[in-house]
Amino acid sequence: MWKVTVSGLLAHKLRLALTAVAIVLGVTFISGTLVLTDTLRSTFTSLFSNIYQNIDFEVRGTAAFTDSSGIGSVRKAIPESILPKVRQVHGVSIAEGTVTGYAQFVAPDGKAVTTGGAPTIGVSFDTHRQISALQLSDGTAPTSPEDVAMDRATATKYHFAVGDRVKILLIGPPQTFTISGIVRFGSADNLAGATLAAFATPTAQHIFGLDGKFDAIDVVTSPGVDKAAVRQGIARVLPAGTEVVTGQTVADEQSSAINQALGFFSTALLVFAFIALFVGGFTIFNTFSIIVGQRTRELALLRIVGASRRQVFRSVLLEAALVGLIASLIGLGLGVLAAVGLEALLKAFGITLPTGPLVFQGRTVVAALVVGVGVTVVSAVSPARRAVRIPPVAALGDHRSDQVESLGRRVIIGSVIGILGIALLAIGLTQPAIELVGVGAVAVFLGIGMLAPVVARPMSSMLGRPLAALFGISGKLGRENSMRSPRRTAQTSSALMVGLALVSTIAVFGASLSKSATSSVDNAISADAIISPSTLGAFGFSAAVGPAVAKVPGVTSVSTVYNGRFVAAGKVSTLTAVSAKDLAQTVILRMDSGAGPAALAAGELLIDTTTANARHLGVGSVVPVTFALTGRSTMRVGGVFKPNTPLGSYLAGDSFFLQHFANPLPAAVLVRTSGAPGTEAAIVKAVEVYPNLKVQTRAEFQKTQQAQINQLLGLIYVLLALAIVIALIGIVNTLMLSVFERTHEIGLLRAVGMRRRQVRSMIRSESVILSLFGAIIGVLVGTGLGVALAISLKQQGITDVVVPISSLVVFLVLSGLLGLTAATWPARRAARLDVLAAIATE
Amino acid sequence: MTSIEAQGIEPGAPPSGAAARAVDLCKTYGKGDAAVRALDGISVEFERGRFTAVMGPSGSGKSTLMHCMAGLDSPTSGQAFVGDQEIGQLDDAGLTQLRRDRIGFVFQSFNLVPTLTAAENITLPADLAGKPVDKEWFDFLVGQLGIADRLDHRPSELSGGQQQRAACARALIGRPDLIFADEPTGNLDSNASGEMLAFLRRSVTEFGQSIVMVTHDPRGAAHADRVVFLADGKLVDELLAPTADTVLEQMKNLGG
Repeated sequence: MWKVTVSGLLAHKLRLALTAVAIVLGVTFISGTLVLTDTLRSTFTSLFSNIYQNIDFEVRGTAAFTDSSGIGSVRKAIPESILPKVRQVHGVSIAEGTVTGYAQFVAPDGKAVTTGGAPTIGVSFDTHRQISALQLSDGTAPTSPEDVAMDRATATKYHFAVGDRVKILLIGPPQTFTISGIVRFGSADNLAGATLAAFATPTAQHIFGLDGKFDAIDVVTSPGVDKAAVRQGIARVLPAGTEVVTGQTVADEQSSAINQALGFFSTALLVFAFIALFVGGFTIFNTFSIIVGQRTRELALLRIVGASRRQVFRSVLLEAALVGLIASLIGLGLGVLAAVGLEALLKAFGITLPTGPLVFQGRTVVAALVVGVGVTVVSAVSPARRAVRIPPVAALGDHRSDQVESLGRRVIIGSVIGILGIALLAIGLTQPAIELVGVGAVAVFLGIGMLAPVVARPMSSMLGRPLAALFGISGKLGRENSMRSPRRTAQTSSALMVGLALVSTIAVFGASLSKSATSSVDNAISADAIISPSTLGAFGFSAAVGPAVAKVPGVTSVSTVYNGRFVAAGKVSTLTAVSAKDLAQTVILRMDSGAGPAALAAGELLIDTTTANARHLGVGSVVPVTFALTGRSTMRVGGVFKPNTPLGSYLAGDSFFLQHFANPLPAAVLVRTSGAPGTEAAIVKAVEVYPNLKVQTRAEFQKTQQAQINQLLGLIYVLLALAIVIALIGIVNTLMLSVFERTHEIGLLRAVGMRRRQVRSMIRSESVILSLFGAIIGVLVGTGLGVALAISLKQQGITDVVVPISSLVVFLVLSGLLGLTAATWPARRAARLDVLAAIATE
Repeated sequence: MTSIEAQGIEPGAPPSGAAARAVDLCKTYGKGDAAVRALDGISVEFERGRFTAVMGPSGSGKSTLMHCMAGLDSPTSGQAFVGDQEIGQLDDAGLTQLRRDRIGFVFQSFNLVPTLTAAENITLPADLAGKPVDKEWFDFLVGQLGIADRLDHRPSELSGGQQQRAACARALIGRPDLIFADEPTGNLDSNASGEMLAFLRRSVTEFGQSIVMVTHDPRGAAHADRVVFLADGKLVDELLAPTADTVLEQMKNLGG
């Protein structure tokens, strides 16, 4: 049977090659993601190890709580006075205090240097070469209060050189410094895309608002001493609230924070890879079904000459496994290339990564092969079972491959799976449990895939009618061809159905999100102007902005909004703060119960109704809280407000907030004006010195929010495009198989006078019908899923459910056009069939 | 449509003369030592309004001759004419139009498009050309062929004989210059076969249709006005007013 399998493979090279493309793409995606994230993980780990390799111990404030949100735990600064005590500990060779804070360069063109999400870090420059991870590549260390050292990546990008003046945005008003030196981070020009400004230690302490304090003290021990003893010695001189840890611990903590972020990135990409493979599974299933159909006689002959059912079954599965294996190996190779490409792409976006060798783990190979081969084999099981049912007598008679089969059983099984899927989706969305949603969606797609043949004939007939009217006999024949095997039509379009269902889900969800964001701004903010960082993902801006704006004539109220992490009732959460005084003028707070501004002024906590219900809290409840700076305490719930997306779940007054957070950076400044002409221009003028800010009216702010949502949607569409491409390859494949199958018929048509152009439009018509069929079902299913998703997230702030009809219509039109494109090759092949050879075939 | 006129086909050619002719037609398959001369310099005329049978043993080149003369295959050398049109001068589009508008085909099997009904199959050439169908002629033909009540059926619902009769109607519907029939009765039982041949005969006698039929059945050939015999790619003999016996006799002489 091995020989039969291999010769079968070789005989269907082209058809299987197209099938394999689906697997190749999916596996490329998977292995590329794994290689890229493994590589990044390993380079970051070694980078942090390098940075801390010379540091034996670090003295720092203890963390009041562990925040796993990726930012890392917030620690209280330690008093400067600890440093001389640590230096006196026996065995300590070097001890140096360090501080870190916000410092953002302003480029020569007056615009703030942005990083695309990475932080803009300011640090104290450590003059001890042994300790510092920073290495001067040019110039000298910053010594005077005017000096700054700049990371080489920023210097190169913006053509800064030693001796140049550079403006830097700080938590206070911006200041101008002289570049004394250019620094590198070990072997990298910057730290994973972050910009870095290094100041002399006293300067840094001052501009970060940490006079007399350090964030940490780095310690190097004398050679040959007992490190454990040194550590004990240091611990003995430390006051409460401080701790001493090894350099390795710090390195590990930093890598694990990065790893967590990378893990999220990797999971997100893998989800799309699996979507692509799921769609690929449909096309494989379809191809094998058709091939088994076409090989009916051959397989029956095998049965006649003595092959057992089991052997036939294994032969088909083995063929699938071989195709899967070859495709997975190719995908694996391409995945490595893709990882290199992605890395280059990240670099092009200014995220210069420390150079490290590509990490190609055994797990990547195993995952790629298991998934690639697995999907192919599983998809071929049902066709293989069909092959087994071929009676030996079929070898003798004219056993048609596209016979009409009873759909009864399919309807029952399909309905059961579909309903089960809907149930799982419903449970998953209400729980919420993302895994159940995934399994439910897969079940819904499978169920609909099984049910689709029932409607395939009437729908193809309906869709084909305008084509028949438009293209005459060619359109009519295309329509007839799409109707002749409802099962094949449905199977072929299933892949596109899944792809479009997902795209439509995202479209409905995105439109709802966008609309909700708009109305949530209207329902939450009454300010006339909103000042916020001009780049997405910025870590905040100077605290001097609010007071500066307040002085502008025409400005009646200014509210500075802060965000910080704290523990509320045992759960790490975000606390938002606004000033109680100006609350009513800038924010729309609809109270459900209790007091609003008065409670904030009294240092009480406000919570939204969702949180109140979920955590069984109400006015008067006392919530245990923990702050990084001030430790444990309790807060009384002073009021419960109706959900307000920009404010989040927990709200406090700004004076309370500032007592519990060290030098927080404002997230936004809300401004109410008298409406006098020129006020907005005056505000813009007042914040001109902060090029990292933008001043927007409420309408502009809404537009920005929508733009951000659309950007995210665009990214998701791009990732889903792969699934659509695979679905189209499935259509190309089926059409090729159909053309092959109908060689004789096409030859006859050509003999009695069908022109090549007419042959092409016949195939194209069929393709358009197939595509539209899949697209229509997909859009319907996707709209349903999207609406369900949006409704289920009502509590999370999706207040409006919108079905973007125009986008969905565009998807349908695009699908038709893609169908037309998919037909290009099969149509050409059909038109080029040698008439004589075609009619002579038998 | 315009290209045919541009290439000099005159739809109203004079009634006399040849419906089709071959001049020194050669067809070689393969190259060098492996070359096979399927047609070895055949010159033959098929008269207008007559029923000509082409006979010969297997491999004599009778199918190749038909394919070359119908524009399905291109000769290696020599010329083939349908009316006054030399078909070697036509490109694919021209050949397609020629087949669609001036030639009718009846093949041994697989004559009908399975997705179309019998009626749609019959009007296929006209539909492909975007031309109206002569409704009276259509009704007359399907009535004569006895398939008027089977018109809405798909080929899979028709008997072999009914399928071949529908193919016949399709060949005749456009009143082509010439019908090529390639073993049209090869898959039929003797009853259906006889009806089929009788109808072909009548269409020549009564409607003045020109037919060339490739066959290896002497009784079939006996329905023709003239039988030409091929052997080894050459025209070796011909017989006028044949009977089954004279044809059989001739075939024996050829060693078929």
